[in-house]
Amino acid sequence: MSKPSSDQYSDAWILHVSLSDRTVRREPFPHSLFTNFLGGRGLGVKLLYDRLAARLDPLSPDNLLVFAVGPVTATAVPTSGRFAVITKSPLTGTIFDSNAGGSFGAHLRRAGYAAIMFEGRSSSPVYLWLNNDNAEIHDASNVWGTDTRLTTRRLLDETDSQAQVACIGPAGENRVKLAAIITDEHRAAGRGGVGAVMGSKNLKAVVVHGTGKAAVSNEQALNKAVERARRLIKKNAVTDKSLPVYGTAVLVSVINEHGMLPTYNFQEGTFNDAEGVSGEKLLERLYVRQYHCYGCPIGCGRISRVHGEEVGGPEYETIWALGPQCGINDLEWIAAANHRCNLLGIDTISMGSTIGCAMELAQKGKLSAPLRFGQTDGIFELIDDVAFGRGLGAELGEGSRATALRHGAPELAMQVKGLEIPAYDPRGVQGHALGYATSNRGGCHLRSYLIGPEIMGVPVIVDRDRTEGKPSLVILYQNLSASMDSLVLCRFTNFAWTVDDYADLLAGCTGLQIDGPGLLALGERIWNLERLFNLREGLSSRDDKLPPRFSTPLPEGGSRNRVVNLEEMLPKYYALRGWDKEGRPTKERLKRLGLAKV
Amino acid sequence: MDLTVERLAKMIDHTELKPETKREKIKQLCEEALTYHFATVCINPVHVQYAAELLKDSDVKVCCVIGFPFGATMSSVKAFEAREAVKLGAQEVDMVMNIGALRDKNNDLVRSDIETVVGASGSAHIKVILETGFLTDDEKKQACVLAKEAGAHFVKTSTGFGPMGATPHDVKLMRETVGASMGVKAAGGIRTFKDALRMIEAGADRLGSSSGVALIEDFRWAQYSDAWTQPDKPCWTCPSRQANLAKQPKEIYLYYKQRCLTCPDRDQNIFND
Repeated sequence: MSKPSSDQYSDAWILHVSLSDRTVRREPFPHSLFTNFLGGRGLGVKLLYDRLAARLDPLSPDNLLVFAVGPVTATAVPTSGRFAVITKSPLTGTIFDSNAGGSFGAHLRRAGYAAIMFEGRSSSPVYLWLNNDNAEIHDASNVWGTDTRLTTRRLLDETDSQAQVACIGPAGENRVKLAAIITDEHRAAGRGGVGAVMGSKNLKAVVVHGTGKAAVSNEQALNKAVERARRLIKKNAVTDKSLPVYGTAVLVSVINEHGMLPTYNFQEGTFNDAEGVSGEKLLERLYVRQYHCYGCPIGCGRISRVHGEEVGGPEYETIWALGPQCGINDLEWIAAANHRCNLLGIDTISMGSTIGCAMELAQKGKLSAPLRFGQTDGIFELIDDVAFGRGLGAELGEGSRATALRHGAPELAMQVKGLEIPAYDPRGVQGHALGYATSNRGGCHLRSYLIGPEIMGVPVIVDRDRTEGKPSLVILYQNLSASMDSLVLCRFTNFAWTVDDYADLLAGCTGLQIDGPGLLALGERIWNLERLFNLREGLSSRDDKLPPRFSTPLPEGGSRNRVVNLEEMLPKYYALRGWDKEGRPTKERLKRLGLAKV
Repeated sequence: MDLTVERLAKMIDHTELKPETKREKIKQLCEEALTYHFATVCINPVHVQYAAELLKDSDVKVCCVIGFPFGATMSSVKAFEAREAVKLGAQEVDMVMNIGALRDKNNDLVRSDIETVVGASGSAHIKVILETGFLTDDEKKQACVLAKEAGAHFVKTSTGFGPMGATPHDVKLMRETVGASMGVKAAGGIRTFKDALRMIEAGADRLGSSSGVALIEDFRWAQYSDAWTQPDKPCWTCPSRQANLAKQPKEIYLYYKQRCLTCPDRDQNIFND
C-alpha cells in the first residue's frame, strides 16, 4: 500500500493496533467517513457504532479505544493541536469522547494519521511508539506503576525528546472508572474513565513523533479564514482578556455571583470563600506563567508554583471540584491536589464531585468515614487510594452514582447517566440544565455550553430563567459542539467565532464545499448516531434526567428559589430533534440525516 | 425592519473615546470601519486629523465629540473646538449639552449653547448628547425640543462615561419627542447585536458603540436561532435598574427607584441579574 500523500486530510491513514497479538496495520481513511463524520469525535463514534457489539463490558478486550484528530489539526487554524479519545465508557456505559490539548494531536496528524484504533488486550504492559509512518509496540514494564510525569519523561528519553506522550497513571492501570489520559504532563482527556479503558488493554502510553506537514487544500482561502479567526479572537474580551489573564478560573467569581457555584455537593450555590479560590487570587498567589496548547493564541492554561514546585493548572472545574464542592477554601491545597490527580491520572471533576458526594453521605450518616466538608485531612491519601483501588478509595473510584447507590442514597450523586455534573448548578440556568440532561455522554458542560449566552452574554445575553427557546438553543450548541469536536478544536474559540467561521476553516483546509448550516447538519448526524449507540446500549428517555436535588429550590444566593423546569423543555427538545416521545430518532429524521441504514 | 448586516453596519458610529487611546488604536479603528463600512468613527478631537487622513475618499465619516464628556465648558470653547475639528476633517460633531443649565430650566442657555456649536460647524451634522442618566423623563423631552429648535440633526442618549447607558425606554421617548425628521442616536452600553436590535426597535437610527465589530460579527448568529431575541426580563432594559446613587444626584436616583414601586412588572424584580 502506498504512503498517503498527506496533502489532504482524507488521505491520512487509520492505524489499527491489535494489542492481543501485537500487530499493527494501516488502512486508508474512507472518503465517505470524512465527508459524513469529519474526524475526531465523529469518526470515532462511527467506528465504534459499526464495530462494537451491544452491551459489551467497556473494560473487556473487545472494547475499542480510538485516538483521533480532525481535518484542521496541525494546520494554521488556531487551537488545532488537540486530539479526541473515543470509546465506550466504563463510568457511564455510553458512547464517550474526551479530548485534550497540548501538542499530541498535531504530532499524530503530522505523522500521517487521522486516527489510531486500539483493540484487544496485551498480555503485558506496552506502549505504542509512532515515529512518523513507523509504528512499533514496545514493552512498558519499566514505566508500569509510575506516575504520568515520570512515564512521560522516561518514554521521551527512550524514544525522541521531541515526541509527544499521552499516557495513563496508576489509576488507569488499575482500571479506576475515573481514570484520565494525560498528555504534556497536565493536559487531560479527563472524563468518563477513558484512562481505565486504556489500562484494561495494558496500554500504558502512546508516543508519537510527526514531522510531516498537514498540507491544506486551498491555502489562499485558509489564510483568509485564519486571519479572520485570529482577529476575532483578539477582538473578543473573553479570549483576549479574561482567559489569558486569569485562565479558566476567571469563572469562579462570575458563577459564584450568580449563585451557581455548587457548594457542599450542590446543597448550596454560593461559596462564602469564593474570593479565596478565584482567578484573581490564583494570579496573585500561585501564577508563574501562561500555558499555550499547540497553535493557541489564547493561552488559558496556567503554570502555578505550589510548595516550591511548578505544576499545571488548576482549571476552573478543578478548583470547584476539589474546592467549593467539598467546602475547601485553600487554593494551594487545591492546586497540589490537582497536581496529584494529574500524576495519578485521575479526572479531577469526577474525583472532587465524588468526594463531595461521600462527604454528604457521611454528613447524613449514610457512610461511616472521616470525611467532613471543609476538611482536607486525609484527602490526599484518599485520592491515592482511589488510584490504587484501596479501601474507601476503591468505592469512590466507581464514581458517585455507584457510591451513593451502595450507601442507600442514590439521590446524593450529582450525576447524569453516571457522569458527574460539573461546576454550574443547573437551577440557575435552564438551557444549560437541559444540556446536562440530554448530553450523550452524561453530565457534561461542554456539549452545549449555554453558560455563554445565559451567563456571560456571549454572543448575547438570554434570560437564564426562561425555558422558551432553550430547546432550540441547546440543539444548536449540541450540533455545533459535535462538529467542533470532530474538527477537534478548542471550545473556547466559540466565544469569538460563529458557525460560519468553523465552516470556512474546514473548507479552506480540505476543499470540502460546506457552509454553516451544512456544518450543523454534520453535527446533527453525529449527535443522532451517538443517540442510536446509547439506545442500543439500553439507555432511554428515562436517562435524560437530572438528580432530584435540582427540583428543590436553592435556599439563598443569586439563584435562590429556582428549580430546573426540565419537564417544560424535554418534550419540545425531542420534537425539535425529530425524535418520538421516548426520545428515539424517527425513521424520517434518520433518513434525512443519512443514517437510515445504520 | 428587514435588517441586514450591511444596513446594521451603516448605522454604527465605531467609537473609541478612552483618554488613554493610542494612535495605533485609532488606526485599527479606522481600518475596521473601512472593512465593515461603518457610518463613522467616533473619536476625540486630538485624533481627528489622523483619522481623516486614513479615511480620506472613503464612505466612512469622521465624527468628533465636543465638550466631552461633561458638556460643562463655555459655549465659545465648544464652538472653537467644533470649528477646529471640522477644519481638520470632522464631518459629524457630537456635542455634550449644558446639562446643569437644563436641570436649572435655563432653556435659553441650553438652546444658545447648541446654536453656537451648530453655527461653528458648517455643514457637519450635529448630535446633541443629553446624558440621560442625569435627567428625568420630562427633562429629556425638554432637551430634545431645545436641540431641535437649535438646529441640531440628532439627539443622542449618553456619553458612555455618565451614570447610565442607552435604554430602549429613553430612545423611544426621544424618538416620540423629536419625530421622524431628526435622528436619534443610542450610545452607551451597546455591546451586542441584541442590544442594537432593541435600540433600533425603539426608534434609534444611529448606534454608538465601541463594540462595532462584535455587533456585526455576532449578528451572523441571528440566522441560527430565534432564541436570541426572546423577551428579556423587563428590568434588564429599564433605566431604573441602572440607577446608581454614587453616580447620580440623589433626587434623580430616587426618581428612578420610585418608579419601581409602581411598575407593572414589579413582581419580576426579584433577582439580582
